[in-house]
Amino acid sequence: MFVLVFFIVVGFIAYAIEIIALRSLLKVKFSSSYTPPVSIIKPIKGIDDNLFDNLESFCNLDYPQYELIISLSSCADPAYKVAKKIKLKYPNRDISIIIDDSLYGLNPKINNMYKAYISAKYDTIIISDSNVFVGKDYIKQTVKYLKRNEVSVITNLIRGTRALSLGSLLENLQLNTFVACGMAFLNTKTNISCVVGKSILFNKKDLEEAGGFWFIKDYLAEDFMIGKLVKEKNKKVALSNYLIDNVNEYWSIKKFLNRHTRWAKMRWKIGGAYYISEILSNPVFLAFVGLLIFGFSKAAFMVFGGAWLLKTILDYYVGYLIDADIKVFYYFLSPVKDIIMGTVWFVPFVNTKVYWRGKKYSIGKNTLLVESK
Amino acid sequence: MNDCKEEELLCDFHIHTTYSDGKLPLRNVVDIYGQTGHDCIAITDHLVDKTGLVGKAAHSIKASITENNFNEYLENIAYETKRALDKYNMIVLAGVEITKNHLSKNKSAHILIIDIKKFIPPELDYKKLFLEAKRQEALIIAAHPYHVLGLDKETLYLWNNRNRYAKYIDAWEIGCNKDLFNVVSLESYPFVANSDFHKPSHIHSWRTLLYCKREVKCIKKCIKENTRVAIKFFRK
Repeated sequence: MFVLVFFIVVGFIAYAIEIIALRSLLKVKFSSSYTPPVSIIKPIKGIDDNLFDNLESFCNLDYPQYELIISLSSCADPAYKVAKKIKLKYPNRDISIIIDDSLYGLNPKINNMYKAYISAKYDTIIISDSNVFVGKDYIKQTVKYLKRNEVSVITNLIRGTRALSLGSLLENLQLNTFVACGMAFLNTKTNISCVVGKSILFNKKDLEEAGGFWFIKDYLAEDFMIGKLVKEKNKKVALSNYLIDNVNEYWSIKKFLNRHTRWAKMRWKIGGAYYISEILSNPVFLAFVGLLIFGFSKAAFMVFGGAWLLKTILDYYVGYLIDADIKVFYYFLSPVKDIIMGTVWFVPFVNTKVYWRGKKYSIGKNTLLVESK
Repeated sequence: MNDCKEEELLCDFHIHTTYSDGKLPLRNVVDIYGQTGHDCIAITDHLVDKTGLVGKAAHSIKASITENNFNEYLENIAYETKRALDKYNMIVLAGVEITKNHLSKNKSAHILIIDIKKFIPPELDYKKLFLEAKRQEALIIAAHPYHVLGLDKETLYLWNNRNRYAKYIDAWEIGCNKDLFNVVSLESYPFVANSDFHKPSHIHSWRTLLYCKREVKCIKKCIKENTRVAIKFFRK
């Protein structure tokens, strides 16, 4: 029991350090007059929750010069109709829709946006997922990091919003706690770059010098690889404290589990030993295991209850820091999410295959894909 | 000259909200359809005939619009119609699903009245009901007219009495939610396909594609003529 309590305490200390990293990051303020023209690439497949509003938010940005490229692999995709409506609604915006079903590599997202990447007018490029909603000053608040200390890639903090189903609520709790704190800690307190594809701003010239899209077309975690490539060229990756919203309204539990199983497999293939440490920073799951090991004893229940309460309070505080839209009561479900994620943590050790956008792959080092039958 | 120039319109004419037994309020439903690129939808909450026991039960659990809240229902749909047109370029039509439920599926019928302007008492007999809908220049669609998967809502009365009533009906649902009714095409009746949307997962369901101008009169004409109509199973 003592060993268990020790690890639970260590887990909470680790989480507290991550929260402090997030808090420090959110306090960073500086301004810049650097406003290069920007090409925003939106790779789309299928209709995400809130797709129309998400795309529309990129048509109302307060920025001097930018183009929006919406890329799809087929005009039969139901999202094509939404993209066309957006283009018609904003005739004065520089919006183009690119359809390309070419197979350049094994990563379907790279295949989807490769032609858009080639066609981009400007050297400063943003890749932004279709489930992202941004505020008017998104580009300004992100691009300003480019001129600092050899920074070449910038990613953003993510905030899950607008949950209207249990699956979406669990997803948003995971994004707003584990993902937000983890990104803040890794990018600001360690030498590890955590680049997330929901928003990546980069300098095309720098990426091309490092191998470009062609080099990463067979990797599952193209976002991680973009960061890795430019770092190998002695450029830096920065995390912008400008929060972008990932709108998840009607997710099923199955969709939530599928995404995080896939992400766990990626983190295992990228992080290796670091991935092992994740389970130690999940104190609620450790307390839950204690409950099972010690036969639901009174002491084990007390430890579990304490861990539940403390984690709920800390997660609520993180939600407060990032101005999340989750109601106070729902934070009591956050430990349930931790127990689920603790179970998902084991999956990569028994299965490294992933299903993504309708295909099955094995994943190797740095998430290199090999198509499976 | 054809004043109904063609566009491909993604349509759903059978949608429920919390005004009857739907799970989502009107505004959320309109947003779900707007966000997914639809061009024309009809809100068709249940207007239940309360002469029988089943109908009375539906009213007791507030699973029906009533004469008392009908005008409010129309006003709210009118507000959403304007909002949806401004924001999504999507037409929202006011409708009801006249619901005549009985213990016997052979006596039960559901009728969609699309572009309704005034309250129609659901207790009217079929002929009077159809004539009142025609007087209002509304469309009349026979909802899920044949056997469906599951036992909760079989409504066979109109199909069993099609020789008597087909002349009043503008279109029959050939697809509803995930079901298909091939008997409609076997009889060569005009058709549409709809979701019978009650909750978000119902977005994955049948739709109607119309090839006409994005105007209410052209949409109604297109359904009645039924030559430029297709169906599609919609997936996000």
